[in-house]
Amino acid sequence: MNILYVEDNKINAMVMDKMLSKHNSNVIIAENGSEALKLVREKNLDLILVDINLGLNQMDGCELLQRFKRLEILNNIPVFAVTAYAMPGDEQRFLRLGFDNYFSKPVNFEKLISAISTLAIN
Amino acid sequence: MPFNIAQLEVLAEKTQLFLFIFSPEGEIIAFNKRCELLFPEGCDGIKGKNITDFVIDDDVQVFTDTISNLTVQQPKTNESFTFPSGKMGVLSLKFDFTLCDNLVYAAGIDTTEEYKEHRALITISKLTKTGAWYFNPKSKEMYWSQGCYFVKDLDPGTPMTRDLGASFYPEESRARVENYLDTLLRTKRPYEYTEKIITAKGVEKWVKVVAHPVIYKNEVVFVNGTIADITERYNYIEKLKYNEETKHLALKGIQSGLFDHIIPENEVYYSAEFKRMLGLPCNQNQVSEEVFRQMIHPEDVENAMQRHSENLNKPDNYYFNHYRLKDNSGEYRYYEVHGFRRKNENGKTIRMIGNLIDVHQRKVHEKTIEENKKRLQAMVNNGMDYVVLLNTKGEILMADEDSVKIIKRDFNVNPKESTCQFIDVIPINFKTTFAHFFNEAIKGKIVKEEIERVTPMGVNQWLEIKYIPIFDDQLKTDSVLITFHDITEEKLARIAIRDAHIKEQELSDLKSNILSNFSHEIRTPLNGIITISKLLLDDHSKEEKDQLKDYLQESQDRLLDTLDTLAGFSEIETIQKNLQYTKQDINYVVETSHRDHKHLAKAKGLDYFLDLDESSPEALIDEGLFKTAIDHIINNAIKYTNIGSVRVKISTQESKKNIYIYIIDTGIGIGKKFLNKIFDPFIQESIGLSRKYEGTGIGLSLSKRYIEILGGEINVKSKLNKGTEFTIIIPKCL
Repeated sequence: MNILYVEDNKINAMVMDKMLSKHNSNVIIAENGSEALKLVREKNLDLILVDINLGLNQMDGCELLQRFKRLEILNNIPVFAVTAYAMPGDEQRFLRLGFDNYFSKPVNFEKLISAISTLAIN
Repeated sequence: MPFNIAQLEVLAEKTQLFLFIFSPEGEIIAFNKRCELLFPEGCDGIKGKNITDFVIDDDVQVFTDTISNLTVQQPKTNESFTFPSGKMGVLSLKFDFTLCDNLVYAAGIDTTEEYKEHRALITISKLTKTGAWYFNPKSKEMYWSQGCYFVKDLDPGTPMTRDLGASFYPEESRARVENYLDTLLRTKRPYEYTEKIITAKGVEKWVKVVAHPVIYKNEVVFVNGTIADITERYNYIEKLKYNEETKHLALKGIQSGLFDHIIPENEVYYSAEFKRMLGLPCNQNQVSEEVFRQMIHPEDVENAMQRHSENLNKPDNYYFNHYRLKDNSGEYRYYEVHGFRRKNENGKTIRMIGNLIDVHQRKVHEKTIEENKKRLQAMVNNGMDYVVLLNTKGEILMADEDSVKIIKRDFNVNPKESTCQFIDVIPINFKTTFAHFFNEAIKGKIVKEEIERVTPMGVNQWLEIKYIPIFDDQLKTDSVLITFHDITEEKLARIAIRDAHIKEQELSDLKSNILSNFSHEIRTPLNGIITISKLLLDDHSKEEKDQLKDYLQESQDRLLDTLDTLAGFSEIETIQKNLQYTKQDINYVVETSHRDHKHLAKAKGLDYFLDLDESSPEALIDEGLFKTAIDHIINNAIKYTNIGSVRVKISTQESKKNIYIYIIDTGIGIGKKFLNKIFDPFIQESIGLSRKYEGTGIGLSLSKRYIEILGGEINVKSKLNKGTEFTIIIPKCL
């Protein structure tokens, strides 16, 4: 599976890559929104993981999701939020914005991998 | 036996008698020598003429009547005739007439002297409407003179008796009148009385009767009396009495006494009422000015005397004065004097008539009203901030002193002295609402409005204005009371409560946002730590393992850093409680912070400057709090700058009161979208915490709060990719 991970924190991006690689996934990292928008056109993707807080002066994950929605090529590609915003209500907030799934940091990889597997079967 | 003609003429020579013989028609047939005195000189041929040619006109009819009524059986005696044209002048004679042989014999005596007296008496009697009478108690004879008959409009020939005399008195007084005469007979004392009679013609008259007894051997032998018609005088006196009573009652009605000051003699006469009022002795007609002055209240004497002399020197004739006088009970009462002066032809005041009027009750009422008014005014002045009473036309009836002052100052009108429409003396922006609410109040409603205004001192003020209708007996609005109540304090308190409520809400939001931010800041490195720990369990090359360990270390550092910042975010209350304000040299504090970050700047290869202020300005601050804020911002500037410089500058040029600290970098800058939010920990999606620049958002908001706690402010200017300039302004110790 080709998975795009939009994440500005290099450590978190790296550990995601390492964990998902173990489960036959190919992880492509984008450091910010504009990089991600470039990559979605180039790559053939099965899933997109988006961090919400993408740093000072940068568009955030929510804005990026809206941009994705306007792209026809991404019509059937699920977008998961992977974020450290994990206060009560945050999950509902992000799902309401249109994310297909929500994972808080620290990431529960068993759950994430299981969700990815479900996608792969379908 | 009658004389014949020859005898008559002889007899005439010897006698003082005047003798005539007339025909029954009165023609003179014969007369004796003495009679010649009665005729004019050289008057021949008297015989054959009628005697009436020689008597006064009044006597003509008397003579004619006498002769024609004469009979043989009834001679006529004592008939008086006056002959005006005789040789000796006017002669009056009294004749007796006898009829004999169809001739009239007349013998007269000269009564000229008695007649004069008689005529005089008759004249007096006529002119004074007086009659004389005589009563003989023994014979019961009652004699009335002609005057008596005149008074009673009765024919003089009517025979008179006592009973007939008494019959002219009305029944109710008849017994009393008769008793007068009986009493006189008994007591032998004279009497007089005034009574009403009704004359024979039915006319009412007032008569005065006087009677004197004539006494012989201690017995009343007869009574002489007079009766006088005093109707005119009586009526006049009655009228006078009536007028006097009118005046008396009128004066009494207004509790007034009359005085009459005869100025040339300096004598003052007081009416009985006057004297009674002041307890002066009634039998004493005059009171000296000195005595009167002593009765005036000591406090009033001076003014009263001054007014008195002013009054007397005025061009007009009116006199007015007022003072308190001691009355008959020894108490002082208020009196007013209204007078009028009479001047002589030289314009000098010779007499002054005046009324002394007791105005005590009125004065007391006036005083009470005045006192009540003062009390009301005090209430009006002190009860509310402003109070105005208007009539239904909107004119000011009454206003508190402050309002009066304001109206006088702003509109140059004194509502106490002249009629003044309230709407004309209020600010323009208040007129419309005033007109509306005033009309509502006129309809009988109590209405309220609140207005906000700026006082002449430039202070914001809120006034609550109440329009309260006041009703008359018929429950119709007859005036409107408008009260102005300064509710600024309440209003400010309400605003403060609202603000406090908002602040509380904000604080609560702040708390949850801070919590959310910290949660994010902890979860981010924790994600690395947990995942790396799991990965380390797998098989890796040594190289891979070392890299993982480095990442682990980095994540741990970041976690600790976040936890340290969290410690700085205690409750504001806790921070404020523990503050220690001291006067600090800002150059020194900033220099210390600058030095502490030197190694970071050097490590990144940045130029690192510090410009101190020459005046070494001081500020009252908590050094720890202030330095933490400065540290955060310098740290921030270095973090976000990769090329160029970071400059820290202290200046007092901009303002006398404040110290300016600038932290200027040439770093990545902050976009417009984020610039407003960098101090704001509320915005969840606000500031990204990139791997490179983590912890920024919370540090800045913390710095802002610290500077604000210390009474300063913090501002920021930034341009993307050019750099950022923070300015901290802190009050200077003067």
